[in-house]
Amino acid sequence: MIETKKLNVYIGENHILKDIDLQFPEKQITCIIGPSGCGKSTLLRTLNRLIDSTEGVRLEGQVLVDGTDIISSGAEVTELRRRIGLVSQRPCPLPMSIFDNVAYGCRINRMFKKRRELVYHVRQSLRAVGIMDEIKGRMRSPAARLSIGQQQRLCLARSLAVQPDYILADEATSALDPISSKKVEDLFVSLKGKYSIIMVTHTLRQALRIADNVVFMYLGEIIETGPAAEVFNNPQNELTQKYLSGAFS
Amino acid sequence: MNIRILKDRTARDIMLVLTLLSIVMVADIAIGLYLKSKPVLESESLWTLLFSSEWKPLKGRFGFLPFLMGTVWVTLLSITIALPISLLTAVFLTEYARPIIKKFVFPVLDILAALPSVIYGVWGVLVIVPWISKSVAPHFVDFSTGYTVLAAGIVLSVMVVPLLVSLFIEVFSSVPVELREASLSLGATRWQTALRVVMRKSLAGILASSVLAVSRAMGETIAVLMVCGCVVGLPHGLLDTCYPIPAVIANNYGEMLSIPLYESALMFAALMLFAVVLIFNLVSRVVLYRIEKQNE
Repeated sequence: MIETKKLNVYIGENHILKDIDLQFPEKQITCIIGPSGCGKSTLLRTLNRLIDSTEGVRLEGQVLVDGTDIISSGAEVTELRRRIGLVSQRPCPLPMSIFDNVAYGCRINRMFKKRRELVYHVRQSLRAVGIMDEIKGRMRSPAARLSIGQQQRLCLARSLAVQPDYILADEATSALDPISSKKVEDLFVSLKGKYSIIMVTHTLRQALRIADNVVFMYLGEIIETGPAAEVFNNPQNELTQKYLSGAFS
Repeated sequence: MNIRILKDRTARDIMLVLTLLSIVMVADIAIGLYLKSKPVLESESLWTLLFSSEWKPLKGRFGFLPFLMGTVWVTLLSITIALPISLLTAVFLTEYARPIIKKFVFPVLDILAALPSVIYGVWGVLVIVPWISKSVAPHFVDFSTGYTVLAAGIVLSVMVVPLLVSLFIEVFSSVPVELREASLSLGATRWQTALRVVMRKSLAGILASSVLAVSRAMGETIAVLMVCGCVVGLPHGLLDTCYPIPAVIANNYGEMLSIPLYESALMFAALMLFAVVLIFNLVSRVVLYRIEKQNE
């Protein structure tokens, strides 16, 4: 389970995340919602320490992944990142073939000794995101030639290929057309039995459709958190009520 | 007519003329060189001029192979030294270095790139040549003055490195951050990301930058002339002297022009250099086009 305790993130002089105490339940979808600039993406990037590459960043508090604090200096970020997959806002295929994109993580992490095993695993990962039939016979062509929706599913397959325990999705459907968006959304729902999914979304309707749990953030603070049905149907905080009613976005 | 539109059109026309002028100049140089080298081309076959090692101007024999090979040796050696150094420096500066280091190193690179080549030449004569003569050559040959292919290659590589690093930094910086993050989020280290994603994505840019550096190295005159030995003869190794084409032209033009065909022969050398750089650039354009097409 991923858990944050008194997590504070500063970038330069700015206090971006303030005393974040959260628990992300396992094998469920947790949607982080909130207006633009509230710190949703920063929180997500802190969970896999991609935030490290931001200039002038300073972290305080704890992020516990299965009980291990990943902020303490001894934490091994590469293994951590393998365990926490990331699907970003815009699909980002690596500059290589479809096959090599999915095989990339496996090769980096030396997961297979025999090529046959690798090929089988890549195919399985592509099947898991339902893209295998669409790209049959094109495994060796550049991934950038796929449609944007297919690229996003390829990126998800690439994340799944390294056998993560958690998947982080940062507005993973915002750049997609409605049909592709629906496909990716359905995928997340089908994957939640195997993975714990933490998803930043800007679309309330999406959160309503797929979230088991919801975290509402505002100006770097957690305003309200709980099971989706509770937060959506009976928000306790006035800010949450206003946000859900569309008073601000 | 509206005065603003008139100004706009005038500006466009002036710029068009200036653009055409630069193209015409290149053509003009090529035609000029060809016309000037015509006498020597008529007296000797092109094959003999390019592939004969016999350089006896007084007897009217002009074989350019030693100079061609001198250029090839020095250019290849300098790029072989400069390329890995520049690539790794650029990777360090874009992928690893803290902003404060970048702030210090970038201006230093600019200064190095702007230093007049004669300074590099003097440095070569004072430092590299004696070092080769005293410390390197004794391990391999009985005697060497130090004025060698190796000296020219080292000096030239030091000159090319700042240019290459600056170009590579531009190229690597244009790789989207999201690509790096995609790689890192799969458990890749920064080095793996740099090697397998950043450099791969930058392949076309790396090639284009290298072509620019090779062109610069081929044409570099003063610094090379000062340390290469300037002895006519086919170089057979790094510790031989050499005499690249630009050095031949710079050393001899204006002198000994009373010898028949000598001026024409030197103009032919210039034409050769021109052609080599042109062909090299054209070939690399084709390769670049293919790489870009592959990456699409």
